[in-house]
Amino acid sequence: MPIRNFSIIAHIDHGKSTLADRLLQATHAVSDREAREQMLDSMDLERERGITIKASAVTVQHTYKGQEYELNFIDTPGHVDFAYEVSRALTACEGAILVVDATQGVEAQTVANAYLAVENNLELIPVINKIDLPAAQPERVAMEIEQVLGLPAEDCMYVSAKTGKGITELLDAICEKLPPPRPPEVEETRALIFDSNYDDYRGVIVYFRVFDGELNVGDKIRMMGTGRTFQITELGRHRPQPEKVKTLGHAQVGYMVAAIKTLEDVRVGDTITLDARPASQPLPGYKEPQQMVFCDFYPATASAESPSAGKKGEFEALRDAINRLHLNDASFTFETEHSEALGFGFRCGFLGLLHMDIVQERLEREGGVEIVQTAPTVSYQVELTGGEIVEIHNPADLPDPSTIRSIREPIVKVEIICPTENIGDLMRLCEGRRGTFKAQKFISEGRQILDYELPLAEIIYDFYDKLKSITRGYGTMDYDIVGYRQDRLAKVSILVNNVPVEALSLICHRDNAEQRSRLILQKLKKQIDRHQFEIPLQAAIGGKIIARESIKAVRKNVTAKCYGGDITRKRKLLEKQKEGKKRMKTIGSVTIPQEAFMAVLDQGE
Amino acid sequence: MPPLHTSTTAQITIEAPAIQGKNRAVTIEGILLADRPGGPRQWDIPGVYIHVPFCFHKCHYCDFYSIVDSHDRQQAFTQRLIQELNAASPVLCRSGPVETIFVGGGTPTLLAAQQWEHLLGVINRVMPHLDRREFTVEANPETVTAELADVLLSGGVNRVSIGCQSFNHHHLKTLERWHDPENVFRSVEILRQAGLANFNLDLIFAIPGQTLDDWLDDLDRTLALQPTHISCYGLMYEPNTPLTVKMKAGRIQPVEQDLEAQMYEATIDRLAAAGFEHYEISNWARQPLNPMATANRCRHNMIYWTNRNWWPLGPSASGHVEGLRWKNVPRLGEYLDGGPFPPIIDVEQLDQDGRIGEQFMLGLRLIEGMKLEEVEALLSHGRRGQQRRLAIERSLSEGYLVGLNGSLRLSRRGLLLADSVIAPLI
Repeated sequence: MPIRNFSIIAHIDHGKSTLADRLLQATHAVSDREAREQMLDSMDLERERGITIKASAVTVQHTYKGQEYELNFIDTPGHVDFAYEVSRALTACEGAILVVDATQGVEAQTVANAYLAVENNLELIPVINKIDLPAAQPERVAMEIEQVLGLPAEDCMYVSAKTGKGITELLDAICEKLPPPRPPEVEETRALIFDSNYDDYRGVIVYFRVFDGELNVGDKIRMMGTGRTFQITELGRHRPQPEKVKTLGHAQVGYMVAAIKTLEDVRVGDTITLDARPASQPLPGYKEPQQMVFCDFYPATASAESPSAGKKGEFEALRDAINRLHLNDASFTFETEHSEALGFGFRCGFLGLLHMDIVQERLEREGGVEIVQTAPTVSYQVELTGGEIVEIHNPADLPDPSTIRSIREPIVKVEIICPTENIGDLMRLCEGRRGTFKAQKFISEGRQILDYELPLAEIIYDFYDKLKSITRGYGTMDYDIVGYRQDRLAKVSILVNNVPVEALSLICHRDNAEQRSRLILQKLKKQIDRHQFEIPLQAAIGGKIIARESIKAVRKNVTAKCYGGDITRKRKLLEKQKEGKKRMKTIGSVTIPQEAFMAVLDQGE
Repeated sequence: MPPLHTSTTAQITIEAPAIQGKNRAVTIEGILLADRPGGPRQWDIPGVYIHVPFCFHKCHYCDFYSIVDSHDRQQAFTQRLIQELNAASPVLCRSGPVETIFVGGGTPTLLAAQQWEHLLGVINRVMPHLDRREFTVEANPETVTAELADVLLSGGVNRVSIGCQSFNHHHLKTLERWHDPENVFRSVEILRQAGLANFNLDLIFAIPGQTLDDWLDDLDRTLALQPTHISCYGLMYEPNTPLTVKMKAGRIQPVEQDLEAQMYEATIDRLAAAGFEHYEISNWARQPLNPMATANRCRHNMIYWTNRNWWPLGPSASGHVEGLRWKNVPRLGEYLDGGPFPPIIDVEQLDQDGRIGEQFMLGLRLIEGMKLEEVEALLSHGRRGQQRRLAIERSLSEGYLVGLNGSLRLSRRGLLLADSVIAPLI
C-alpha cells in the first residue's frame, strides 16, 4: 500500500488541530460521535490554550482513484519554542500541509514553519482554512502566501475544517501531490525518533518513523546517540486508538514500548538501530535541545529562614512535581538552588518563553504546587582572561569582573508581521531594545514583515506583550537564535539595606544599566513596606553605585481608636499585620514581599 | 485592675446555644445567663454601654452603626431599649456596682427630651445612682439644647462628649461632617449654663488637605473652650466607608505619613504644655490641681483598656464578660423585633493565650503602661510566653518600650509605632 507521511504546520490558532480532527473523521478513523475537538491533543492545558505541545502520529487510510493509501499524519507543536521538535517531526515526513487562517492571513509562525519545512525538503500544500467565516478573505490570503512564501496562489486549497468543506479534496491532494517515501538507503535498520512521552504504567513511549529496514517486537534495539539498548515489548500505531502490531517496516510510522524508564534515555532526533546489526551512520539532524531561558522556581510560601518544619514539605512537593513533569518533558533542565532570599528552590532552563510558562503552569496545575518565579534570564557565554569560556545562566554565577575578558549574549532574529501603520512604533520598540534593523518586506495591502536582530535578553519578558499592545493584537512574531554576540554587558547588583540580594541581580547593557537600575529601585521602593529604620536601596556595577533610592523609616503605625466594640476587629487587624510578614522573605532585617523579586522584570516603557 | 490570672477563661464554657428551630436567634441569655445548678452566675460588671443608632446624616469616615431615621422608630427604639434594660436588670443588679455608663452612637442627642426623660428614669432605677461615678452622653453640636441639657443633668449625666472633629469648614466638608463649628461653642455654653463643665471634645487630625498649622489652630480653639478631656484621632480609613472608597479611587489623597506623625507629636507637646495628661494613645485629660489625681480620665474607656467587663445595650453595642465578647445585632429592625434580649452576633470566647494577647494590646495603649508584675504574670501563662518575652526584649532594646516606675510602657518613639510593637505580643 502506498504511504504518504505528512505534517500539518500553522500559526497558532489557525485551526491546525481542528483540521487534523476533520481529516480523521473523513477517513472514518473516528466516528462523528467520537469526534471531539482537538482529538490529538491529550493534555487539558493544550486544549485550554489551544496549542499543541506534544506531537502525536496517527495512521489512517484513504482511497484515491481506486487505490488505498496509508496516510501517516504527524502532528507538530505550533510554537517557535518547540522549533526543534517541529523540525524533527518534519524530517519524518515528505510533505506538509501549511494551514493559513482565511481571516488572519500569513502570520509570523506561518513563515517560520514554512521555512522549516522547506529546509527539510518537504513538499508544501498551502491550505486556506476557515473559509466559512464571514470575515474570510481567501483570495487576499492566497496572494499573501504567494507574495511571502513564493507558493503559487492558484495552488492554494480552500477548506473549512469546521464544516468539512474541501476536506476530501485535500485528502486526494495529499495522495497525489506529496511525494512517496524515499527508498531505503542502507540494509541495516534505521528509525528516527520524533517524539516520546511517559506513561505511568508502561514507561516511555517512543514515536518513530522507519527509514531503513524494519523493527519487530522482541528486537533488541540501540539508541545511536545515547548508546543505550532496550528490548521492544510492544509496537503499534494510532488509528487514532492504539493498535498493536508485530512489525513496522519501511516508511511506516508508529510507537514502541521497550521498558524505558526515563525520557532522558530517549532523545528526540536520535536514531534507533538494531543492537545485533547496527547501522554505521545515524540519520542526520540530531542535536541536543538547547535551553535558552532560565529562571528559578521556589515554593510560594517557604520561608528563607526555616526550610525545616512545615516549610520543608513545600520544597519537597515542588521537587516531586518537577521530577514528575520531567518524566513527560525532558527538554527543560533543573537543579537545586538556594537563595538567601527565597530559600530552597530550583534553577530551571527552558527552550523558550512559552515553554517556561507552560512548565510553570503544568507544575502548578498537575503538581498542585504554588510557585514563585524569579525574573528569567538568558544563557551567557563568558570569556575569561585565561581564554576559557564558561556558560552561565544566572547573574549570581558571573565570575569576578576582573577575570572576565568579554561577555557574549544570545542574539535572535525576530520576524514581526504587523499592520503597516504600526511599523514606526515597532521600530522604536526594537531600537529601544538594542535591536538591529534587518529588513522590511511587503506582504499585502496594509501588512508588512519587519525583521530585526535583537538580544534574546531584551525580548524575554514583555516584548511580546508590548508588540501585542502596539498592534492591538494584530501583530505576530517569531524568533530564532542566530548566535552569540559580545556586547558591553555588566552585572548589576541590587543592595537592600547594604546587603546584596542575588535573586534581584541582573545582567544588562552598560548603556541602559543606570536607567534600568533606577526603575528597579523605584519599583522596589513601592513594593517594600517602610520599616522601623530607613532602608537604602542601591544598584551597583562592581563597587560602583549607579543608582540609589531609600525607603524612609515608618513614622507612624498606630491604631488611633480602640474602644469596646473595636477590640476584636483591631486584634484581628494586628494579627493580619503579623501574618502578612510570614509571606515575606527576610534579608538581613528587611522583609521583602515575593512580588518584589519580579520587579527586575519591568522595563517600564 | 484585676489580676488576669485569677480570671482565666476556662471558667466560662460556651454551651451550645439553646436554639430551637431555625428562626430562634442566639441571645446572650442563651449563652451566659441560662439557669444552671448552683444558682445564677455573678460577675463584676462595672461598665454599661448604650448604643443609640440614629444620625441625621452619615459622616463619610464613620464606621459605627447608625441610620438616618424618622421619629417613629426613635420612639419604638426607646421603648425597646427600656425593655432590654429591664431584662438586663437582674444581671446588672447581681453584679458589683455599675461605675460608668456611656451612651454613644449614632447621635444620642437626637432622641427627644421626653424620650430621654423616660429612658433616664429606667436607667436610674436599674442602676442606682449611688454606685455611679461617670455617666457620659455623646452629643452632636447641632443637637444640644437647654431643655435637653437640663433633662440630662437632672437624670444623672455628668459628662458630655462632643464630636467637633475640626473647626475648619473645609476639613469638615472633606469628612462630610455637617455641623457649623460655631455650634460647638454654643453647645459648650449651653452645657455650662446648665451646670456641666465636665466635657470631652473629639478631634480628628490628618484630614486630607490639612496642614500642620490647620491642625494646631484646631487644637488652640479646642483649648480655648477649656474642656476637661480631649480625644485626638489620626483619621482612620475604615473599610466600607465612603471616605475609604474615595481614597482607593484616588479622589482624595491621604495625608503623608511623615506629616501625620508630625501632627501627632505636635499634639502631644501642645496638650502637655496646656496642662493635659496624655493617658492613652489618643486621649488627654485635664490635669487636676493634685497632679497625682486622675479624675478627668474617661473611666468608662479605662474599663476597655484594662480589659474589664461591661454590658452592652442597644443595636450593635458590643459587650465583654470574662473573655466572652459579643455584639448585639446591628440592624434596628431585628433589634426592635427581638426581645427581651436582642439577637447577638460575633460571639467570641478567647482562650487564655488569646486573652493575654488582648491584655497587652489594650494595656500598652495606656501611657502609664502595664505594671511589671502584671507583665510577668502574663508572660508566665499562655502558649507564647517566651515569644512575647523576646518581642518585648527586642522592643526594649530598640527603645520602643521602656521600663519606668515599675511599669512597662511605650516610649515616645514607641507611641508612634505602637502597632508594630504590639503586633508580636498578640
